[in-house]
Amino acid sequence: MNGCIVAFCCEHSAYPAADLAGKLRLHYPENIRVIRVPCAGRVDVIHILKALEKGAAAVLVLGCEDGACHHITGNTRAKERVKYCNMLLKEVQIDGRPVAMFNLSPNAPHKFVSAVNEITKIIKESGR
Amino acid sequence: MIIAERKPMEEIKQAMAPYKKVLVAGCGTCVAVCWAGGEKEVEILASQLRLARSAEGNEIVTLEATVERQCEKEMVEELKDKVAEVEAVLSLACGSGVQTMAELFEDKPVFPAVNTTFIGMPEKEGLWVEMCGACGDCVLDRTGGICPIVRCAKGLLNGPCGGTRKGGKCEIDPEKDCAWVLIYRRLEKQGRLDLMREYYSPRNFRAVKRPGRVQAVKA
Amino acid sequence: METKIGVFLCNCGGAIKNIDFDAAVKKVAKFPGVTCVNLSSDLCLEEGKKKMISCIRGENIERVVVAACSPEFQEHILREVLEKAGLNGHLLSMANIREQCSWTHDGDVTEKAVELVKMAVNRVRLLQPMEKKELPVNREVLVVGGGFSASNTALQLSRVGLRTTLLEKEAVLGAGTEELESFYGFDTGSMISAVEVDKNIEVLTSAQMTEVGGKIGDFSVRIRQEGGEILRKYGAIVLATGHQTELALDSEPQLRAEDEAISGLNIVSQEQFCCMLGNSGLETEPKTIGFMFDFSDENSRFTTLATLNNALEAKKKWGSEIYVFCKNVKVDSEGMEKLYREARDCGVVFLKSEAPPRITAENGRVKIEAKDVFLGEDVILACDVLVAEELYLPAEGAENLSSLLSIRRDSKGFFQDENVHLYPVGSEKKGVFFIGGCRGDLDLGRVLTDISSVVMKVHELLSSGKILVELEKVKADPQKCVACLTCIRVCPHGAIQLVRVDGSKEVAEISDLACDACGICAAICPAKAIKFQGYRDEEILAQIEAIQEL
Repeated sequence: MNGCIVAFCCEHSAYPAADLAGKLRLHYPENIRVIRVPCAGRVDVIHILKALEKGAAAVLVLGCEDGACHHITGNTRAKERVKYCNMLLKEVQIDGRPVAMFNLSPNAPHKFVSAVNEITKIIKESGR
Repeated sequence: MIIAERKPMEEIKQAMAPYKKVLVAGCGTCVAVCWAGGEKEVEILASQLRLARSAEGNEIVTLEATVERQCEKEMVEELKDKVAEVEAVLSLACGSGVQTMAELFEDKPVFPAVNTTFIGMPEKEGLWVEMCGACGDCVLDRTGGICPIVRCAKGLLNGPCGGTRKGGKCEIDPEKDCAWVLIYRRLEKQGRLDLMREYYSPRNFRAVKRPGRVQAVKA
Repeated sequence: METKIGVFLCNCGGAIKNIDFDAAVKKVAKFPGVTCVNLSSDLCLEEGKKKMISCIRGENIERVVVAACSPEFQEHILREVLEKAGLNGHLLSMANIREQCSWTHDGDVTEKAVELVKMAVNRVRLLQPMEKKELPVNREVLVVGGGFSASNTALQLSRVGLRTTLLEKEAVLGAGTEELESFYGFDTGSMISAVEVDKNIEVLTSAQMTEVGGKIGDFSVRIRQEGGEILRKYGAIVLATGHQTELALDSEPQLRAEDEAISGLNIVSQEQFCCMLGNSGLETEPKTIGFMFDFSDENSRFTTLATLNNALEAKKKWGSEIYVFCKNVKVDSEGMEKLYREARDCGVVFLKSEAPPRITAENGRVKIEAKDVFLGEDVILACDVLVAEELYLPAEGAENLSSLLSIRRDSKGFFQDENVHLYPVGSEKKGVFFIGGCRGDLDLGRVLTDISSVVMKVHELLSSGKILVELEKVKADPQKCVACLTCIRVCPHGAIQLVRVDGSKEVAEISDLACDACGICAAICPAKAIKFQGYRDEEILAQIEAIQEL
């Protein structure tokens, strides 16, 4: 996998934001694969780890803004899991690859695009 | 239930260092409920090991399996075929489960991946607290149902040490409640404060002769 | 025998130009299990759908992948197409090759498109059929409260044919309507009469909820009244318990009156001022009146409205001199800007200051001192009556209701967190709604909107007497569940309960009616016992497997 980002996108915020980015013809790097989930809170640590094992250069979880999760606590849980995952990776010294959480609203396509751009830049700079 | 906590990763990695194919074995009872050694933790630990060893250029192959209770011979026997394929077993069960595995598969090194810590219960999500020390001589009748052996930092049996901090907190660990304050309040609610005036003689801490054995009445 | 998968690609009427569909078709046809690949230009139109149906039937396809526009558009429509073709609608997975591929990347994106199709193929292979069923629900509604919001909700629900119980904790209906009567000439009496004669409305006064169980369509509520307790069942619960006010002077230290003599003075709330206005037997008409708002609570819409209404009324009635001290006049409600102009035209003086005014006593009158921003000087006013700033809080009992229903409240204690996804009147629990004052909505326009929203939602849910659900969409496997209670504790919608199966074992049961399909329980279950159809671990991991494995 060369420089591929696996992005878990919640169907209430990030997924429609990504769609909107498409409708507006906003461009972002091609090396991203979106996996649609009903809530960021559905994403489990093993999903992130397996994506990294498969060779992903970065794994993103994108969910609703703080205080605006359709399922109240989903985005908070996702954030905690992402933090936990980073700790697990640090434990085995595999913390060079970004695992990050982004919060956005469904009408914020620019936030989706800038998240993808930001992570792509980090990947390029670390030479993957 | 039994509460356990995963060992530091360094210890686990070191234990697994000589091996190229291992079985990561979980237990579906206590350690699963306290998020230390169930199926999910097995998955995560196996994944971490694979990632780490792959980065080192020394791949490890992991088989994963979780049985309902690792302290039951019959259930552990189900893992026979998988154990035969590996060089070592990494068990996420409590000490009882690890030893059952080790006894059944004597020819394979079995390593513990968790530290068994205490008998406890959930206080809130993800937080487990010690309730019982398995001391073999329960005194909960005299203390309104609050164990001074493990919930008092000093294990005192005859009232508080006098160092209780403001707010009823323990002198040794200000995050913890003074068990004797809790006992007092509980007995007060029940109108049984007279119990606090009874003096209990020094305790025989060898009430449980190690290793313990309990023979229940055969049904 | 491998499941037969049919893949349908669409080039969006030929508009998608940066995917080489011929090459894509060739590659996709090689994926394991794919027995049929079709390229269409109009899957969203009748023609395209007809072709899809005949292909599914003709080739005995068992699973369908559609690579086209976003599932947000077409997924539910395509599920119906599958049903028409004789397949369970859930056996569909989509690849978003338009909005998230063709439209956002430069140059040829065939490779990515093919990979997205592979991800969908991997997933669809594992999907299980799901049954739908109409579950019967109780059509009666419980409305908690007895004021304007509650009564009007009950009346409107009655008009759409739903029976309501109005549950009021006081002995009479109609509390809290003084301001409505004063500002809008509202007649509480006739509202109460309308409620009392309505055959669809049952009024229970001096009554309170003591226990609530169950779920949408089937809530069981224990109600305590004088003389005993009754157990009732309802399909939905609406909270319209109103608000209360507290003079900010009492609670905010910087506004606390500095002089002990203050306590004997005329410092009143808006409601008390309304009573003064309505009191024909008033001893002396106040000649100078001061108003204060927007200092301790920046969410001052209602106080502003009340002030404008009261000030105008006072001008008309008594011709007093009126001064309003505020930080800002926020006119963000219908008709407010007009009211503000009217007030200014009448001679009401508005003074802007940044810091809250100092209140003292002088010769038995209230002295207000504040630095006016525009004058740049201190303004000192001695007035006969000061209508002080008030804090708006939910009515008493909100905390109790919140714990009875396991519903969160916001930082001020109001229901309905302003979560945009639940807005405007919903809660995190399906079937529980809020109206008006108890959710911080205090002006009439918004309250009326709340009422209509709730009536519409409840009507939609309950009128037919049944709700269509997907059976066992999220299910805890009773074999694997160890009743650790984790899912029950984390479910944000209160949809999970412990039930006894096979006479003895206790396991978690997820209600098909109350579940909102978030998957938080599925992720957290320590025993991996919860299966969320369509988003099971294997279904998610299969998509990851497909990435860059072509």
